[in-house]
Amino acid sequence: MSEYQQFLAERDQIDFLIQKGFQISQVKEHLDGATVEFVHPKENITETLLIGNANARKYFSSLLIKQKQRRNG
Amino acid sequence: MADLRINLAGIKSPNPFWLASAPPTNSGYQVQRAFEAGWGGAVWKTLGDPILNVTSRFAAIHFNGRRVAGFNNIELITDRPLDVNLKEIYETKKKFPNHAVIASLMVEPKQEKWHEIVKRVEDVGVDGLELNFGCPHGMAERGMGSASGQVPALVEKQTYWVKEVAKTPVIVKLTPNITDITATAEAAANGGADAISMINTINSLMGVDLDTWNTIPHVAGKGAHGGYCGPAVKPIALNMVAECARHPNINVPISGIGGISNWQDAVEFMLMGATGVQVCTAAMHHGFRIVEDMIEGLDHYLDSKGIAAVSDIIGKSVPKYSDWGDLDLNYNIVARINTEVCINCNKCHIACEDTSHQCIERLTDGSGKSYLKVREEDCVGCNLCSIVCPVEGAIDMIEVPRELAPMTWNERQAALNAAVECQADVTK
Repeated sequence: MSEYQQFLAERDQIDFLIQKGFQISQVKEHLDGATVEFVHPKENITETLLIGNANARKYFSSLLIKQKQRRNG
Repeated sequence: MADLRINLAGIKSPNPFWLASAPPTNSGYQVQRAFEAGWGGAVWKTLGDPILNVTSRFAAIHFNGRRVAGFNNIELITDRPLDVNLKEIYETKKKFPNHAVIASLMVEPKQEKWHEIVKRVEDVGVDGLELNFGCPHGMAERGMGSASGQVPALVEKQTYWVKEVAKTPVIVKLTPNITDITATAEAAANGGADAISMINTINSLMGVDLDTWNTIPHVAGKGAHGGYCGPAVKPIALNMVAECARHPNINVPISGIGGISNWQDAVEFMLMGATGVQVCTAAMHHGFRIVEDMIEGLDHYLDSKGIAAVSDIIGKSVPKYSDWGDLDLNYNIVARINTEVCINCNKCHIACEDTSHQCIERLTDGSGKSYLKVREEDCVGCNLCSIVCPVEGAIDMIEVPRELAPMTWNERQAALNAAVECQADVTK
């Protein structure tokens, strides 16, 4: 799979959870990339994604900043 | 015509082009000829206890047809008695009262030695002093030059000693043979320096002769490291100037030195914070008259930009120079090959396929003609293809429309740290 295909696949996974109302609650960075934990604020469900692709890691980081900005009003 | 005059810490000159302290400024004859050619100032070849030189002093790197891409020397400071130099400085200043004559000085790190030479040199009417804490060879083995210049405390102390007696502005010339030049620049400022200049030459060994196994150059079969300069060192020098220019604790003017060969180089150094520039290798390569092109080119450049005075460009690019952590991770460029211009040499394809991100494809059109195309979604915008491309305009690096808001590494890490219960992985 090309880097770009991997990015699309990981971005889709992230978008899927975000569209269902999940929010990023925790990020743990490690040698294999980043483990991103998502929490659904209403249903109290947690989902975890392993994000390895560099552009996908930029992507969830940008979403996290946006999420923080929204929270701060 | 734009106003090309500069004022570096009180030292005025008709233009920003000075000859650096080196063989071109060894004598009054040379400096006067340089001023006649148009140089705005000259830093006299370093004065001190007259030394003894060896023969076979210079060497150069010629790269791909370009002569003197890099230059190396093992020549020391002046070998002429101080009184001879002072007489010629006096005569030169008398003939050229509006040009800047700066005396480069180097003595042992002793207070009385500095006091003595400063007083004697200022008596003949120099416009300023430049303390040579940079020369990397020969003199350094005797505790002077870069041996002093690599120790911030020694830089500060000796600058202070000079300032105790100096009546003219004091420039401290710094060595690049140090991990962080801002440490010695700050020390010079703390010692009272009115300005700093950089860079002196870089420790170097030019080569080894494959037949004789002698060093290049060699002196009767033996070699010693020299000082490297010329166009090859310009990026190193430019970075050091910029790092000092943007440092909050270094608030003295900068005289830029290092591989400056034309007016464009001079503009770059001034945009990055230099008040003026010093030139050596280019003058040694092409003669004093290269300054004519420098003056003319600078003047035209300023006129074309509608800039009235060269001093208006000093430091204008400094705010654009930052740390890696402040760069936008979401800014994207990609390569685009202009097939009308491309000569199908395949260099970009090989470079990308072998050493970058494998995103340039060799395709065949309907008529069986091959062409190169970038798979833009996989291109990381590294620039390598455009760097190796031998044809101007065949590859453009194009900005990709932004999909995500700007985000720096520092902003990203702050957001991650602020994320709820973000935990650091101690194993990474």
